[in-house]
Amino acid sequence: MSTRIAHVAPVIVCRVDRCLSCRSCELACALAHSQSGELVAALQEVPIPLKRIRVLSLGSQGPLTRHRTIALQCRHCAEPLCVEVCIAGGVTKDEASGLVRFDEERCVGCWSCTMVCPFGAIIRARDRLLAIHCDRCEGREILACVAACPTKALVLCDADEVEEGVQCDT
Amino acid sequence: MRYVIVGSSAAGIAAVEAIRRSDERGSVTVVSDEPSPLYSRCLLSYYLAGTIDASGLAYRSSEFFGEMRVDARLSTKAESVDVSRQVLVCERGAEIPYDQLLIATGASAKIPRSIPAVKGVFVLRTIADAVAIRATAESAHHAVVLGGGLIGMKAAFGLSKRGLHVTVIVRSRYVLSQMIDADAARIVMDGLREHGISVLTGADVAGTDVRDGRLIGVTLEPPAEGGGSLPCDILIVAKGVQANCGLVEGTGIECHAGIVTDSTQRTNIENVFAAGDVAETLDAATGERSVNALWTCAVQQGKTAGFNMAGRERRYDGSLGMNSINFPGADLISFGVTNPPADSDYEVLVDRRVDQGVYKKLVLRENRVKGLILVNRIDAAGVLLSLLRSRADVSGFEDALLSDRFSYAQILALGGRTEWNRYRTASNPIGSG
Repeated sequence: MSTRIAHVAPVIVCRVDRCLSCRSCELACALAHSQSGELVAALQEVPIPLKRIRVLSLGSQGPLTRHRTIALQCRHCAEPLCVEVCIAGGVTKDEASGLVRFDEERCVGCWSCTMVCPFGAIIRARDRLLAIHCDRCEGREILACVAACPTKALVLCDADEVEEGVQCDT
Repeated sequence: MRYVIVGSSAAGIAAVEAIRRSDERGSVTVVSDEPSPLYSRCLLSYYLAGTIDASGLAYRSSEFFGEMRVDARLSTKAESVDVSRQVLVCERGAEIPYDQLLIATGASAKIPRSIPAVKGVFVLRTIADAVAIRATAESAHHAVVLGGGLIGMKAAFGLSKRGLHVTVIVRSRYVLSQMIDADAARIVMDGLREHGISVLTGADVAGTDVRDGRLIGVTLEPPAEGGGSLPCDILIVAKGVQANCGLVEGTGIECHAGIVTDSTQRTNIENVFAAGDVAETLDAATGERSVNALWTCAVQQGKTAGFNMAGRERRYDGSLGMNSINFPGADLISFGVTNPPADSDYEVLVDRRVDQGVYKKLVLRENRVKGLILVNRIDAAGVLLSLLRSRADVSGFEDALLSDRFSYAQILALGGRTEWNRYRTASNPIGSG
């Protein structure tokens, strides 16, 4: 019997030694998902454009060491739990690209995806009862967060180049 | 290879997909007693509310059976299984031979004997139920919901959005008592009270008042003040569900509260699997066997069953009580053991800011996460769930788990003490640079 193997999507890695906590990635992400694509206009948009990446605190190793952060977004997991739990069937895995897709039209804001995402990568628009995630800038030419990062902390790597403790090269 | 699946809801659909990912050539037959089964049962209350229309109920497209190359026998009732000949027997003597059989017949709403089947009395389980309730709600003013569990509360909220006044009759001291505790329930009720929903706790429905074959009221136990009945046009009975084990009677397939399954979703009979609301599994939080009749569990069990039926070994770590819902003013997530007995070896940590509408409760046992309630600070819920699933030892950072600042990053910072055996971690551990 034949088995279909789904493509494993490339991964966006954040090299924490380079992360300055500047949040350029968050800003660029929200702008990339705005109507206008321009900062001043985007701030006026209703609904306000949302970032899909979060800069999170790793704490510090002691009083004299730098407070470290990591920019984290949806991992587009090989076996996504969000796909399993979405009660509306609105979260799907594209076997060709390996990307997870959230259908905003189907979302009812039950937050089941939030309940299961092991990375806490779901972003919730609470006022609109809408759950979203990093969509890998689908339909756009560049990855906004990777392009915006001033230290190149964020890089796109092939899945098989990434293991715990191993960095991929730019 | 002939795969036969009885039931086409969450578990059945997940099994079809898992089988087709593994075996493109075998024949897949699905038998369902519903005419159009590809909808989400969880969305029915949103349909009641008018938030979505009938097309919004679809869980898979109408092309699903065609795309999956499934022979779908709809509006067909399966009646029994001949386990020695490996044949599923359907109504009117139709026989479907199988090599691998999955029983995903789900569960049915429990109706107390005191409630007759008259116009105005409903359960909320199928699309037909929701359509009938919606039609009656057009000209109704007062609804009573019997049962304060998640289905009852969702139904109550749905009807209130249509402008009905709703009274929820709950046997416990507070609503959602299987899922959450009194503190969390208070926040939920504060939000719902403003939406025309009243709750009578410590109460039950003793009987119904019927005129001309139609419901006009319910009598309460204990009786309402001044006696008499509570007038209503609609009664929704939401008192839980019972596994549909009828199919396996006399077959030797073992059934307690549900069909008994192992971690591959196999029953005690060779080549027969069970998944979803009909199945009894290990509970990953309590370590005991139970039925967790939840959509999420059904999907995961169906997927597990499908892979194993197709020869791909896959283990299910056990089901969990796990619920997520948004009510006005209350985003609510809970899972696992949420109301441990006082004299047990469970440890409970609480962040109680009820006046701010925030409540967090973490339940631990032997330094492992066993349960959680979150009201209005739910973003890290999945990270905490993964700690439960991985049975991680969290000693020393219990307080960090409850903090508003808790995130996946904290787990990385704490040296990766959990196992992520199914997901790729693409972040570098701290200290690498």
